[in-house]
Amino acid sequence: MMAQQTAPSAAEATTQSESSRLAGILTWMSQNGIFIFTAILILFALIFVDGFGSLMNITDVFHRAAPIGIVAVGMTFVVISGNYLDLSVVAQVATAGVILIAVSNSYGLFPAILAALAAAMLFALVNGTAVGIFKANAVIVTLATTFIGLGLLRFFSGGSIFFGPPDGPIRTFGLGKIGPIPYSAIVLIIMTIVLGLLLNRTNFGFLVRSFGVNESATRLGGTNTALVIIGAFLVTAVAAMIAGFVLAAFSNTAVSNDGVGYEFRALAAIIVGGTSVFGGRGSVYRTFLGVIFVSVLTNILVLSGISFGYQQVALGVLIVLAVSLDALARKVAQR
Amino acid sequence: MTTTSSADIAIAATGISKRFGGALAVDDVSLRIAPGEIHSIVGENGAGKSTLMRVMAGIIESDSGSVEVFGTPVDPGTRAAIDAGIALVHQELSLVPEMTVAENILLGAFPTRFGFTRYKDLKEIAANALAEIGVSVDLDERVSRLSVALRQFVEIARAVARQPKVLILDEPTATLTPAETDYLLRMLSRLAEGGMAIAYISHRIPEVFEISSNVTILRDGRQVLTAPIADLTPQEVIDNMVGRELKEDLQTHRDATPGEVVLRATDIEAPRVNSVTLEVRAGEIVGLGGLVGAGRSELVRAIIGADNRTAGRVTLTRNGRSVTLSSYTSAVRNGVGYVPEERRTDGLALIMTVSDNIRLPNRQQLSRFGIKAPRKIAEFAQELADKVGLRPPEIEREAGQYSGGNQQKVVLAKWLGRRPDFMVLDEPTRGVDVGAKAEIHRLVKEMADNGTAVLVVSSDLPELLELSDVIHVMRDGRITGSLTREDATEQSVMTLAAGEAEAVA
Ligand SMILES: Nc1ncnc2c1ncn2[C@@H]1O[C@H](COP(=O)(O)OP(=O)(O)OP(=O)(O)O)[C@@H](O)[C@H]1O
Ligand SMILES: [Mg+2]
Repeated sequence: MMAQQTAPSAAEATTQSESSRLAGILTWMSQNGIFIFTAILILFALIFVDGFGSLMNITDVFHRAAPIGIVAVGMTFVVISGNYLDLSVVAQVATAGVILIAVSNSYGLFPAILAALAAAMLFALVNGTAVGIFKANAVIVTLATTFIGLGLLRFFSGGSIFFGPPDGPIRTFGLGKIGPIPYSAIVLIIMTIVLGLLLNRTNFGFLVRSFGVNESATRLGGTNTALVIIGAFLVTAVAAMIAGFVLAAFSNTAVSNDGVGYEFRALAAIIVGGTSVFGGRGSVYRTFLGVIFVSVLTNILVLSGISFGYQQVALGVLIVLAVSLDALARKVAQR
Repeated sequence: MTTTSSADIAIAATGISKRFGGALAVDDVSLRIAPGEIHSIVGENGAGKSTLMRVMAGIIESDSGSVEVFGTPVDPGTRAAIDAGIALVHQELSLVPEMTVAENILLGAFPTRFGFTRYKDLKEIAANALAEIGVSVDLDERVSRLSVALRQFVEIARAVARQPKVLILDEPTATLTPAETDYLLRMLSRLAEGGMAIAYISHRIPEVFEISSNVTILRDGRQVLTAPIADLTPQEVIDNMVGRELKEDLQTHRDATPGEVVLRATDIEAPRVNSVTLEVRAGEIVGLGGLVGAGRSELVRAIIGADNRTAGRVTLTRNGRSVTLSSYTSAVRNGVGYVPEERRTDGLALIMTVSDNIRLPNRQQLSRFGIKAPRKIAEFAQELADKVGLRPPEIEREAGQYSGGNQQKVVLAKWLGRRPDFMVLDEPTRGVDVGAKAEIHRLVKEMADNGTAVLVVSSDLPELLELSDVIHVMRDGRITGSLTREDATEQSVMTLAAGEAEAVA
């Protein structure tokens, strides 16, 4: 029996099966939705939310977005490497801020930056070694280093608040603006571009992504995978350090619980941006948009007088939606 | 055309079409298999065999067409297909490595009481399934510790445990040695005699002639021919697969003039490897033969450092300069290439493009100061894709979207680009069609002619005999004998491999 009954009709060629069309839509949504949603949200806010478009408000949105965004663009590397997230950014942000103010008060700015950099490298080394060499779970490891980091910081700082001098480079940076855009936001933009190039254009970025897709194949491709993982944590740590500087400079104070909530909000921005928590897929630019989206949304809620509790609920719901969409798109695509 | 009513047909797939993106992977194919019939499906890599089987097993939904089991339409979805009595043994192993043999056999169908797993029943059913196919393996062993061949049998036991009416096997023998293959074929005939309908995919034409009653040939998604096997000759089958006449130019021996010793491995010890010493010279192809489980893959992995070795020393010499290989990374840096046995887990990043996969081991030469050179990468990847005959040769497609045989070509392409001094190939043509296989053999020989020292592991005896200048045969982690090209025959290799005991699976 030769099967040559019907030639495929022209209509058949255009009608793809339901499931593959759905897969296409879902994948597209989970990967590109952020561009559209961000645009719609900003447009909506400009038209309907009183005070959103004012220069002061825009500056304020940028100010709040910058430190979280800087953490998030850095942490994107850890997420893409397939290691979920780095919880210890909580401790890293606070450590950097306290070191910046406290050390520069006694020894000057340059030693302060060096000391903060050393602290960041230490975090990256411990996290990266445990995860990259000993294959420990990143969530557990970074939870532990958060405790260690915060514990040490409270011990050395005595839990006190540090105040910077009323003027000087830190203050100038903290208050500086170009139009409505504060320096901190410019740092975020520069970080986004630099880290975007690092991820997309360099062998290191390629290996981070490749590791997130298939660890074994990456290793057998002749890669020192431990170095790749340590590198991903180092990028995160340096970003968290810069975020700590930005935060401390803005308020001209630093205290050991400055970074609380950063791990979660950074992750929210990364996930909403469309970077996959399964590793391998995602980009720094998406994270940037995710930060803008989350910040604008929070700002709208604030301006509308919605209480902090509900803001948190909204953020939580948003993450569940984004993660589910990602997981669903994967599942449908695999069929 | 057929007189039997559809209720007598175990499985009838009618007018199946499936499109991926722009291309039709399966184009209006119809297949009917009667109870007790073994029906082979053959075709080149990418012909649509796996896609058709996955449609029949409800894993992917077709764009058009229907599937009926004994006259009853089967709804889409794997659940419905399983309930209808269709079981599929995947082309790629799909067991959970960290679970035991028994758990894997009953995965998704654990016997329970009040929601608790009944481990006694579980083991009993698993044991029965293994007994039915006549394979003995420890039920409590983790699958990750089994050889690839044993995993394949566990996979089959898993399908059989569901007592299917229709059993589909997608290239089950690709990972097996001849003895194991014989065993599997006999087992399938027995199952068919019991009334099971079997769909069987293989690139090994002799197997197809040995067991099937009917054969369907696919080419580029289309059904070229369905006929009783008795009406065809092997050459006709091959010609219909490729759509042209393929000249048999196998068995072209090289004039091997081996040079200096490139690789020297001394007293290698590792799990399943007992004190092995071997040498490979420049321009020489050394084959490793033996039954699956003899420790061949473990040996090559220990030599290049992909797995840890407990003892031994490996040196790589090129142009009189020697280095001692300490780690896998240093091995690759010093000119070692490795095509691993498991392409999906070890060989490829499936959701990355072909071009990215090729870039991985070649990234240093495709970048400047660590920054990638996109134009160079594209040219390099395209050249290699063309060289290995990737079909279609689209380097920006994800590797996972290629058929199994074409994925294997990508793995090979990755390493060809490095022009390694020492190349290890573990089952280099697993799942590759006849035409592409000859092509890969040509590439391997060409590599040796250009001075690369090659070490090949293959369970495919004709392949081993064709490629190797020397064959070392392993048993129980040791080299039990070595044969030169002149002495090597299928018989002599198997005798050394089996030793005194007649060993199967
Ligand atoms: N998920 C997918 N997305 C896009 N294209 C696909 C996908 N799966 C298969 N294809 C394409 O469909 C065609 C048929 O592939 P299939 O795996 O069925 O071939 P095959 O006959 O089993 O080949 P092989 O002998 O190499 O296993 C190929 O061209 C392949 O590239
Ligand atoms: Mg296939």
